[in-house]
Amino acid sequence: MSIMEYNGGSVIAMVGKDCVAIASDLRLGNQALGISSNFQKIFQMTDRIFLGLPGLATDVTTLKETFRYRVNMYTIKEERELEPETFAHMVSSALYERRFGPYFIEPVMCGLQKTHTGEYKPFIAATDLIGCLNFAKDFVVAGTASTKLYGVAEGLWEPDLEPEDLFETCAQTLLNAVDRDAYSGWGAEVYVLTKDKVIRRTLKGRMD
Amino acid sequence: MPDGSFAHPQQRQFNPYTDNGGTILAIAGADFTVIAGDTRQSEGYSIQTRYAPKVFRLTDRAVLAVNGFAADGNMFVKKVKQRLEWYRHAHAKDMPLRAIARLIQTMLYAQRFFPYYVYNILGGIEEDGSGAVYSFDPVGSYEREACRAAGAAQSLVQPFLDNQIYFKNQKAAPGTSHPTHLPLSDVLSIVIDSFTSATERHIEVGDGLEIYVVVARGRSPQGIEGIRGVQELSAQPNGDRTFILRRELKKD
Amino acid sequence: MDHFPTNWGRPRNDAFDAYGTYPIHQRAPVKDTFAEGVQHTQQPIVTGTSVLAIQYKDGIMMAADNLASYGSLARFKDVRRLHAVGTSTVIGASGDMSDFQAIQSILDDLVTDEFTHGDGHDLGPAEVHEYLSRVMYARRSKINPLWNSLLVGGFRDGKRFLGYVDLLGTTYSAPSIATGYGAYIAIPLLRAAVDGKQDQLTEENAKKILHECMRVLFYRDARSLDKYQIATVSAAGVTISDQIQIETAWGFAEGIRGYGAQTQ
Repeated sequence: MSIMEYNGGSVIAMVGKDCVAIASDLRLGNQALGISSNFQKIFQMTDRIFLGLPGLATDVTTLKETFRYRVNMYTIKEERELEPETFAHMVSSALYERRFGPYFIEPVMCGLQKTHTGEYKPFIAATDLIGCLNFAKDFVVAGTASTKLYGVAEGLWEPDLEPEDLFETCAQTLLNAVDRDAYSGWGAEVYVLTKDKVIRRTLKGRMD
Repeated sequence: MPDGSFAHPQQRQFNPYTDNGGTILAIAGADFTVIAGDTRQSEGYSIQTRYAPKVFRLTDRAVLAVNGFAADGNMFVKKVKQRLEWYRHAHAKDMPLRAIARLIQTMLYAQRFFPYYVYNILGGIEEDGSGAVYSFDPVGSYEREACRAAGAAQSLVQPFLDNQIYFKNQKAAPGTSHPTHLPLSDVLSIVIDSFTSATERHIEVGDGLEIYVVVARGRSPQGIEGIRGVQELSAQPNGDRTFILRRELKKD
Repeated sequence: MDHFPTNWGRPRNDAFDAYGTYPIHQRAPVKDTFAEGVQHTQQPIVTGTSVLAIQYKDGIMMAADNLASYGSLARFKDVRRLHAVGTSTVIGASGDMSDFQAIQSILDDLVTDEFTHGDGHDLGPAEVHEYLSRVMYARRSKINPLWNSLLVGGFRDGKRFLGYVDLLGTTYSAPSIATGYGAYIAIPLLRAAVDGKQDQLTEENAKKILHECMRVLFYRDARSLDKYQIATVSAAGVTISDQIQIETAWGFAEGIRGYGAQTQ
C-alpha cells in the first residue's frame, strides 16, 4: 500500500495568455472505497495565488492551515503582498523541513506574478513531496492520475490560450485523465485566474 | 547477512522475463484500420536498438502489433504466422480477422501457466469490410474495440484517445452528433500526436514510428497515397490494400 | 587477498561479503548438493566481459579481450572469445565461458551437418543468428539458460549483418552493438562514430575506433584485460587477428583526489 495513493486525487495547472488555470478532482477515498465527492484540494492563498494539494488527505488539511499561517505571517511582517514565486519557495522550504519524515503531498500552485512594469505574468510551479521545485512553462500535474494527465496535457495544450480556451483545455485534460484513474474523479473544479477576475467552475464528471 | 546471520540464504533465481519498453496503438475507421508502434527497443535505461519493428503484417487484411518482452513477442508472431500459413494450405484462403483474433486467444491461453509476457493488438478489415481492432492481455482475454493503446505509454495515450476518438467528456454542438468513425487524415494526425506526446514524456518511447494502414477492398484510400513517404505493401490494388508510413521520433 | 582458506578455489559472491570478512564459524553450512534435486537455476562461473562490434564500409568488425574471470580473479588470460562459424560469420561471447564452449560445439556440429549435405548451401550470419536465438530462447523457456550475451556478425552476398542474442532469447540488430559494460561505456562512443556513417567508415578507422573503446574499457572495467583480438568479416571472409596489446598510461592516477586512501 502506497501512502500517496491512500486517499487518491489529482491536480493540474496550466499557463495561458495572461492567465493561468488550476483544476482538481473532488474525490476522497479510502483506497478503493469512495468516501466523499466534495473534497476540495485547491485553496486560495492570496488574491492571485492558488494552491493544489493532492496526496494524503490528513496532510491536505494540515498543509492548507500551515500555509495560511505562513502567508499571513509573511504579509504582516513584510507589509506587502506575497508573490507567487516567493510562495513557491515558501512551499518548497516548508516541505524540505520535513525531509526525513515528509508530508505525503505533491503541491501544485499557480498565480499571477507582478512584473517590475506593474503587469501580471502567469506563473505555475509544482514540487515533489520533499519540496523539489519544478517551474514549468506549460503545465504541471500531480496526484494518482499524473501519468494520464501528462499524456493528455501533452496532446491538448498549446501556447497562448485565451482564458475560455484555457478553461476548456484544462477541464478536458483533467476529466479525461481522471476517468482512466480509479483513485481520482467523482467530480471536478477548475479555477481560471486573469488579471481582473477569478472564475471558478464545478464540473460534472463521471461518478463511477 | 551483514549481521552475520544466514536466516535468508542468498539465492539468485533466473528470471525468464524482461521488459523491452515501447508503445503500440491501433484505431479502427469505418472501412480502414490504422496500427502503429514505435521502433525503440530498450532494457532498463539502455537503448538496445533504434529500429526493432513491433508491428507485423499477417495477411492482406490483418496486422498485429506486439509489445512487452521482445523475445516472447517475436516468437509469438512467428508462431501466429506459421498457424496462418497452415490455414492457407488447408483452406486455400487467408484466415478472416475474427478467426485470427480467436486463434490468438487460444495460443495465448495455451501458455496460461508460463505466459507470453506480451500485449497484443490486432487490427485489420473484418469480412463485412469494416475496420476492426482486437486487443488482448498476456493470457488471452480479448475484445473488439474502436481504439486501443498498449505498452509503456498506455496510461499517457489511452485517455487522450478516449477524448479524441470516442469524444469522451465532449458535447456535440446543438443539433449535431459526434461521428462514429473519423476520416483517415484525422486518425493519422491523432496517431502521430499520440506518439510525439508519449515520446516527450516517456523515456522508453521514441526513435521511430511505423504506421500501418489497411484499407478495405473497393474503398477509397482517402488520399493516403499522396502522403510523404508512404509505401504500399499490397500485391494487387483491387483487393484490400495495406500501406506503411514511417516517421522519425525524438531520439533522446 | 582472501585470508580464509575455505574460500580458496570458490567463486566470490560480490554482492555479499565481497572481501571474505566473515570467519568460518559464521558462514553458511555446506549443503548436500543434490538435497533439493537437480537444479537448473544457475549463475555464471567463469565469465568473459564486454564484446564490441560495429558495421563498416566493407563488412563488420568485432572485438573482445582475452580474459576469462573467476569472480574477481583474472583466471584465464589467453581465452579466445571470438569464434568463426562457417566462412562468413563470427560470433563473440560474454558471460559464462563453459556455456560459450557448449555453443561453439553446437555450432561447429551444425556447420559440419550442413556441409555433409553437400548441396552447395552453407550458413550465413543471418541463419546462424536465427539458429542461435532459437537455441537461447528454447533454453530460457526450460528455465535452464545458456548464460551468455552473444554478438553475431558477418558478411554475405554483399550484405553486412550484425545481431545480438542473450540468455533470455532477446534479439536485435544495430549498426553498433556492445555487451556487458561495453553497453554503458563503449556504446556512446561507437554510436557517435559509427551510426549513420557505416557506408563511409574505412577498415582502418573502424579498427582505430574499436581499439580506443577497448582501451577505455580496460581503464574502467575491472574485469577486463589489456589484451584483445579483433575479428573482421568482409567479402574476403573471416579474419581473427592476433592478440593486440593495449598501451596504457596510469600517471594521471597520481593526481586524482576524492576517493581512495589519500591522507589529504
